[in-house]
Amino acid sequence: MKRLRTLLLLAVCAAPALHAAAFDDAMKAVSAHNDAAALPLFESALTADPDNLQYSNEYRKAVIRTKEYDRAIDFYGKLTAAHPQAAFAWLNYGYTYVDKIPDAGSITQVILANNALTNFTKSIDLKKSWIALYTRGNSYLYWPKIFGRAPLGVADLEAAVAMARAEAKKKKVYVRSWIALGDGYWKTEQPEKAKATWREGLQLFPGDPQLQARLARDGEELEKYIYDQLDPNKRVDTNLAPLWEE
Amino acid sequence: MRRLWLVLLLAAAPLAAQQPKPAPPIRFEEISEKAGARLLHHTRTFHGKSADVLGMFTSGGASVAVGDFDGDGDDDLFVTDSDAGKPCHLLRNEFRPTGKLAFTEVTKEAGVEGGNDPKSIVADALWLDADNDGRPDLLVARFGTPILYHNLGNGKFKDVSKEAGLTKFGNTIAAIAFDYDNDGRVDLLLGNYFPPVNLIDLPTPHVLPNNLDQATNGGGVTLWRNVTEPGSGKIRFVEVTEKAGLARHTGWTLDLGHGDLNNDGWQDLYIADDYGTDRLFLNNGDGTFRDATQSSLGGLDTKKGMNAEIVDYDNDGWLDVYVTNITDEYMKECNMLWHNNGDGTFTDLSKETGTCNTLWGWAAKFGDFDDDGWQDLFAVDGLRSASKENYIPVLLEMIITPNIDFTDVNNWPAIGKMSWSGYQRKKLFRNLGTQAFKEMAAEAGVDNDLDGRGIALADFDDDGRLDIYQTNANQNSLLYHNVSASGGHWIELKLIGTKSNRDAIGARATLKAGGGQMIREVNGGNGYAGQSTTRLHFGLGKTTAVDSLEIRWPGGKIEKVTVPIDKVTTIKEGAGVVP
Repeated sequence: MKRLRTLLLLAVCAAPALHAAAFDDAMKAVSAHNDAAALPLFESALTADPDNLQYSNEYRKAVIRTKEYDRAIDFYGKLTAAHPQAAFAWLNYGYTYVDKIPDAGSITQVILANNALTNFTKSIDLKKSWIALYTRGNSYLYWPKIFGRAPLGVADLEAAVAMARAEAKKKKVYVRSWIALGDGYWKTEQPEKAKATWREGLQLFPGDPQLQARLARDGEELEKYIYDQLDPNKRVDTNLAPLWEE
Repeated sequence: MRRLWLVLLLAAAPLAAQQPKPAPPIRFEEISEKAGARLLHHTRTFHGKSADVLGMFTSGGASVAVGDFDGDGDDDLFVTDSDAGKPCHLLRNEFRPTGKLAFTEVTKEAGVEGGNDPKSIVADALWLDADNDGRPDLLVARFGTPILYHNLGNGKFKDVSKEAGLTKFGNTIAAIAFDYDNDGRVDLLLGNYFPPVNLIDLPTPHVLPNNLDQATNGGGVTLWRNVTEPGSGKIRFVEVTEKAGLARHTGWTLDLGHGDLNNDGWQDLYIADDYGTDRLFLNNGDGTFRDATQSSLGGLDTKKGMNAEIVDYDNDGWLDVYVTNITDEYMKECNMLWHNNGDGTFTDLSKETGTCNTLWGWAAKFGDFDDDGWQDLFAVDGLRSASKENYIPVLLEMIITPNIDFTDVNNWPAIGKMSWSGYQRKKLFRNLGTQAFKEMAAEAGVDNDLDGRGIALADFDDDGRLDIYQTNANQNSLLYHNVSASGGHWIELKLIGTKSNRDAIGARATLKAGGGQMIREVNGGNGYAGQSTTRLHFGLGKTTAVDSLEIRWPGGKIEKVTVPIDKVTTIKEGAGVVP
């Protein structure tokens, strides 16, 4: 059994050498401000390692800079078809739609947001990760109230917060789930729960400016602040680096 | 000390309660019924499978056109209806000579009630003096072929559409008259919403937009050059869309605006499109236009353009453009106030000026309602006010269906009795003169919640205060009489072209007074579903003297004139002020 594991490990380690080289080359191209050259290299790395969050993260950054959203959507469509069990590939497929939203018209934004949700759900079905639950939950909050999606967001974000609470080490990035859950409570007309959630978040992550900003506001001022944060015309931060940079 | 404050506060409270509220600077009274100008509009009733959806998509045809058809000096009204067999309405203003602001319907005598035949839907109307005979003729734009009524001068009109060459089918929803080649004759630009298929007798279900943010399968525009021989009495137009460089625009046109945007003496164009792709065309001065959308506006937009109003709202000597879009709970487009930077570029200042949100916007017009020298803005909104049930969640299900074909009318869910962006309050923005506006529709008495469509501004009773006529889809129209007590001085100019087109459309007046400068251009129907008066109105505030007034006629000739304040003055090209 131990030998089998060793063999498997060796096999896995041999492939990374190739896709790591492609990723390194892609990063060199990015450093040389040559995103066009970087894109196929990132794609090559991801084809070999579809669940690699870091590869996808850098790829999508280059996609945002070049506005090659449709290329990326097409790429992830093929990648997830070839690797239907790759939970983080599905997650990044969803992010690619989210990344395109600020550059789209108001109705296309709705279609993109819905496509993103579909892919986030695929990711969660495969693997209930904190990042996927937080992402889908937060995405639901961007939908106008009339569509009744905020309660779905609250459910996801409660699960994400529960997962984060259970972690021995509270990564800084987890604060986002407290912020979003509070927003979800606020959006579903539970202001006291919202404030309690933000307060709990501030205890766990002292000095967080977003939590402080919410707790410093009330009434219409708070409403305006939250709606401003959830404006679909503003780019959503889909940078995943904080997950591994701590 | 604290008690003293409390005592003072209590003592002051009753006094404050007794203080009369200061009168708002802008105030209107709704007098449509009293003045005989209240008219009920009916949208077209469709039959068959796609009836509900087509009815919804064609609910824009409640329009109004202001013009002095009988030449008695006051502005009359033509108001459209859209359902089969329903007559349009010509209302004669009785202010001159009776002194009373009242209208009399004279439609039948004039012979202009037609247009809503079984296969055509009236959608817009426009006064224009096509043969320069001093009598405004009337164009009725339709989902169908247009109707051109020649004004015979005896209170009667004659349908001359065929002889005039206006026989081309189009789903026309907007029409403007302007002299694009400065040849002294007003030309016609028609804005078409759907591609040219008859909606009442659908040859294909694929008639709706191919993209809801950047549609390219609409009706575009058609440009008609006026080739009427002077003195012939026979009006003739020929289509020059392709030649003029406008044929490649195939958006879902909802409104058209013209004006000299780059101060070169030639009339330029702004085309507002539903489902994105507004266009700005600059006039080359040789009978052609160039598409300057990219260089001037930064590219194609994705918004639902409804209105193209062109004025110099900040008195900097350059015409700006105001476009309404959709801003609602479910869609945050924001309007566009394209500030003209004077260097060929425009910057959208709608957010900065506070004019971004007029909900589901339709017509919006600038006018100096309080005569303070700054043009204010009235905007109507609201798509469909019906039951409490909301169509938006139903529509969402269709929109997010994978690979749905939006063009297929059968894919759109029926709206039934549901509301869609209904019961919306109108907006009136007072221009504060500092690149800022204050919304005050409620104070001004114009915050009705009808399903607004068109606006026409005119001083119907010659009192120097601009009145408002508002049309509404499937609802009664409104006439807002301006009763503002601001007491600002004013002048109004009726321009008559001689070498230029007789309506003087495109003429620009530049007025200097009180250390400031204002410009106004005569326009032929800018703004959605409404043609305002061709009289130029200037508010002067407390200023009691005009330093200078210059008229630049469309042919290029510049005349300096002296006019009295607080009066309507007629100026004839080459002759100055005339009685």
